[in-house]
Amino acid sequence: MRITSAEVAALLLSIKVSLFSLVVMLPPGLLVGWLLAKREFRGKSILNTFVMLPLVLPPVVSGYLLLLLLGKNGPIGRLLSNVFNIEVIFTPFAVVIAISVISFPLLVQGIMTGMSSVPSELENAARTLGASPLKVFFTITFPLAYRGVIGGIILGFSKSLGEFGATIMVAGNIPGKTQTVALAIFEAVHLGQDISAFRLVLISTVLAFISIWITERITISKNRIY
Amino acid sequence: MSENTNFLINIRKRFGNFTLDIDCKLQEKVTTILGASGSGKTTLLNCISGTLSPDEGRIVFGNQTYFDSESKINVPPDKRHLGYIFQEGYLFPHLTVEKNIRYGQSRLQRKNRNSISQVVEILEISQLLERYPNQLSGGQRQRVAIARALAMEPQLLLMDEPLASLDGGLKSRIIPYLHHIKNNFEIPIIYVTHAIIEAMALADEAFLLDDGKITASGEPNQILASPSALPIAHLTGVENIYSLPVASSDQQRGITELEIGKQHLVIPYIDVEIGKSVPVAIRAEDIIISLEPNLPISARNILEGIVDEVEDQTMLSILVEGHSFLVKITHEARQQLEISKGKNVYCVIKANAINLLWQDS
Repeated sequence: MRITSAEVAALLLSIKVSLFSLVVMLPPGLLVGWLLAKREFRGKSILNTFVMLPLVLPPVVSGYLLLLLLGKNGPIGRLLSNVFNIEVIFTPFAVVIAISVISFPLLVQGIMTGMSSVPSELENAARTLGASPLKVFFTITFPLAYRGVIGGIILGFSKSLGEFGATIMVAGNIPGKTQTVALAIFEAVHLGQDISAFRLVLISTVLAFISIWITERITISKNRIY
Repeated sequence: MSENTNFLINIRKRFGNFTLDIDCKLQEKVTTILGASGSGKTTLLNCISGTLSPDEGRIVFGNQTYFDSESKINVPPDKRHLGYIFQEGYLFPHLTVEKNIRYGQSRLQRKNRNSISQVVEILEISQLLERYPNQLSGGQRQRVAIARALAMEPQLLLMDEPLASLDGGLKSRIIPYLHHIKNNFEIPIIYVTHAIIEAMALADEAFLLDDGKITASGEPNQILASPSALPIAHLTGVENIYSLPVASSDQQRGITELEIGKQHLVIPYIDVEIGKSVPVAIRAEDIIISLEPNLPISARNILEGIVDEVEDQTMLSILVEGHSFLVKITHEARQQLEISKGKNVYCVIKANAINLLWQDS
C-alpha cells in the first residue's frame, strides 16, 4: 500500500509547477490588479475581459488556443523553435503556461478586490505627505490590500494544483514529465487503479486544506489590529 | 504669509454642471474660505494640493509654480510639500500613531528621535504614539492627523473642515490647538469650513465661496459688516449677524451689553474694552416675537422693533434701530398675533442664544 514513485513524481511536479507559476505570475498579477482597481485608462474593459476570459472559457478551449499559439505552426511556437530552438509543447514548461493562464484570473481577482477596498483618499493623503506613487503602492496600497492579495494567491495556487483541461491539451499526460496529480488521478481511474486514485485524491484534499488553513492563520494574525 | 510669499490661485475646473472658477491672491497668515457644502471648497483644496488637476489656470506659491496650464506645469502632490489635514483624518490604519506622524518625514528627520517632539507636545499626543488609529477617539485621531501634517514641515497647511467630524464639545477642545499652531509655527494656513464661528476664530483674511466662485473677501469683521454678510449667514445657517459696539461689561453679573441704537443687547460676559465692536450671530429660530414688552421671563433681551417684511409665511424681517432681524415663527403664531407689515413687536432673545463670532486676541 505504499505510495508509488510515479505518484510522488506527479505530486512533486504539481507543487513545483504551481509554485513556479505563482512566482512568475505574481508581479504581472499585482500590476494588472492595481491597474484594474486603481487606474482609469482607455481599453480598461478590454484588458479586464482579456484577463478574465479563461475563467469562463472551458479549460479545454483555453488549452486548445494555447496549442494553436505554441504549437510548431503557431506564431509563438514557430518563433521559439526557429530563434531559440525551443520546443514548448509536451514539456513541463507547457504545464506552467497552461496553469498560469487558467489561474491568472483568480489571482488578479483577489488582488483587485483587495486593492479596490483601499480608499483612494488614503493614497492621496500619502501623496500629499511626499510619497511617490511607488512608495504609496508599497507602504499603503499593498499592505492594506494584504488579505485580498493572499486570497488571490491561494485561490490561484489551488487552481494551479488541480488544473486538468488546459494542461492535458498543451502538455499531454507523460508520467514523470508532464503528469500532474490531476492527470495522474485521471489515468489511475481510467486504468481501474482505484487505490492509487484514492491516495492521490486524499493527498490533493490535504494539500488544499493546508493551504487554506495557512492563509487563514496569516490573514488573521497580520490583521488583528485593524 | 511673509511679505514676499503671495499665493496666487487662478483656476477653472468643471464637473458636469458645476464650475469652480477662482481668481484670488492670498497674503495673510491664516486665510479662511467659507462656503456651504457643495460650494467647491474641497475641490479647491484638492487643486491646490495637486490630487486634482484644474482644467486651466495657474497656481503659484511664492516663486514656485505648482500648476500652469499654459506652460504645461503640473507639480505632483508629493513634490508640493503642503500639509493637508482632511475632514475625516485619513490616518493609515495599519501604522501606529508614531509611524503615521513620521510618514511624511524625510529620511534624515526620521532618524532624529526628537524631530516630532514639538508637534507631539503641542497636540498632547505623547501617550498615544504606540496605538493604532482604531484605538483612538475622534478628537485624538484628528490631533494625530494635524501632527502628521505638521511633522513633514510643510510650507503651507491646508485644512479641510478639520473639526466637522467632531461633535460640539470636542470642537471647542481642538480650537485651542489650532491657535497654538497659528502662533508657534511659521506656516501659512488655508482653512476651509462651512461653520462661520470656526472660520472667524482663526482667520486673518476670509473669502466667501458660493457655487464655485468667490463672492466676497476681506478681514473677517469687514466681511461681516459688508452687504455680503447676509448670504454668508444664510449659507452657514446663521441668519442674523451684527457688528455692535460694547456699551458696558460687568464680570460679576456675568454680562456684557452691546449698543444697538438706543437699546441694549445683553450677551454673556466677554473681556473686551468698551466702545469696541464685536460681531455676534443669532439664529432666526432663537428669537421669540411678543406683542408686550413687560414679560416675566428669564430672557435678557426684549427689543422693540417694527415688522418690516413678511418674507414668506414663516420668515419675518423685524427692523430694530435700523438693523434687520430675521425671525422664524410658525404660520399659526403669525396668524394668532396678527403680524403684518408695520406692526410694532418685541424681539425676545436669550443672552445665551447670542454667539460671539470672533474676538481679537
